[in-house]
Amino acid sequence: MNHLRALCFLAVMAFAAAALGQAAAKPAATPTPAPTIGGVIDREISILEREFVSAAEAMPDDKFNFAPASLNINGSDYKGVKTFAEEVRHVAATNFQLWSPVTGEKPPIESSEDNGPPQLKTKAEIIKYLKDSFAFGHKAAQSLTSERAALAMVPNPFGQGQTTKLFCTSFAVAHAFDHYGQMVEYLRMNGIIPPASRQQ
Amino acid sequence: MNYLRTLCVCSALFFSVGVWAQAATKPAAPTLAAEIDGQLSTLEKEFVSAAEAMPDDKFNFTPGGLNIAGSDYKGVKTFAEEVRHVAASNYILWGAVTGDKSPIASTDTNGPASLKSKAEIIKYLKDSFAVGHKAAQLLTVENALGQVPRPSGKGQWTKIYAVTFAIGHAFDHYGQMVEYLRMNGIVPPASRQQ
Repeated sequence: MNHLRALCFLAVMAFAAAALGQAAAKPAATPTPAPTIGGVIDREISILEREFVSAAEAMPDDKFNFAPASLNINGSDYKGVKTFAEEVRHVAATNFQLWSPVTGEKPPIESSEDNGPPQLKTKAEIIKYLKDSFAFGHKAAQSLTSERAALAMVPNPFGQGQTTKLFCTSFAVAHAFDHYGQMVEYLRMNGIIPPASRQQ
Repeated sequence: MNYLRTLCVCSALFFSVGVWAQAATKPAAPTLAAEIDGQLSTLEKEFVSAAEAMPDDKFNFTPGGLNIAGSDYKGVKTFAEEVRHVAASNYILWGAVTGDKSPIASTDTNGPASLKSKAEIIKYLKDSFAVGHKAAQLLTVENALGQVPRPSGKGQWTKIYAVTFAIGHAFDHYGQMVEYLRMNGIVPPASRQQ
């Protein structure tokens, strides 16, 4: 993340959190709703969604299956790493996996593949799947209407036992940002500046 | 994140919350502090090990130096700057909750420029995570939605937002560092076969 990107990122974050900050400064005719944990997580999902979807959309159709191994960088080790398309599909599939126990809804496509449903091949199909996963995320976050709801237990989406709704909802954000960071590099390898890092 | 890496991350995360699932008789009630601190520990483990995996003589590596045909790496951070930037941001975001300040004052987005060696930067990083754990452990259902000043100094946001945003922010840079490592033939520790 270069300086501009850092500034933009913090500005977006600040904007996203502005409703909370404005509560004290802005006189309102009606009381501003008190912040909730669900509201906080939902804002983080919105910021992630904006950055992640714009990065996914920035990769041209004909480079959507790009993998760094194809560059043959001298001395590099890119054995077995995901293609750009697999990064996006993996995050969307993981979003569904983490957020569906919170909403109680099933993902639109069942898949046990780490890289998500392989039948989704085109950029358009994969981006639709990604966007649909974020709709799930917003619904999950908004269901955390109280601290008690946030700490309610749900089945562990990755195995045995249980975990909390808060964990499922918030960890998906952290997980996706990891892959976003990788996608940023894939874009730059192809001469594409990630939209969140561009000059306004 | 490859399949192995995903499994490792998920295993680590669920290990951190596993005490609830394992207690057959009377599981300890989950707390906000434990939930967030568990994620922070996972981040710390991955991030610090990635930072440590880059050799001293490549710590200032930047992809621009590879001259990849058709790439655009103008003005991007070096590996050292990625680490220092995250550590400095950690101090700002988590320090707002704990009241701790960075031991070295800096307004540089890449953190204190006086820290140059790998050893100095990694110590600064590890110290920032100590502040993070303190911040996470302070969170309760009563205070998590309490307000703290935003880094810009204008307005406020909630404590839980400051703590969790730092985690997402650091994972973004971790993803970039993973690529920097692989460009140098180094498989990130979290992605290695056990």
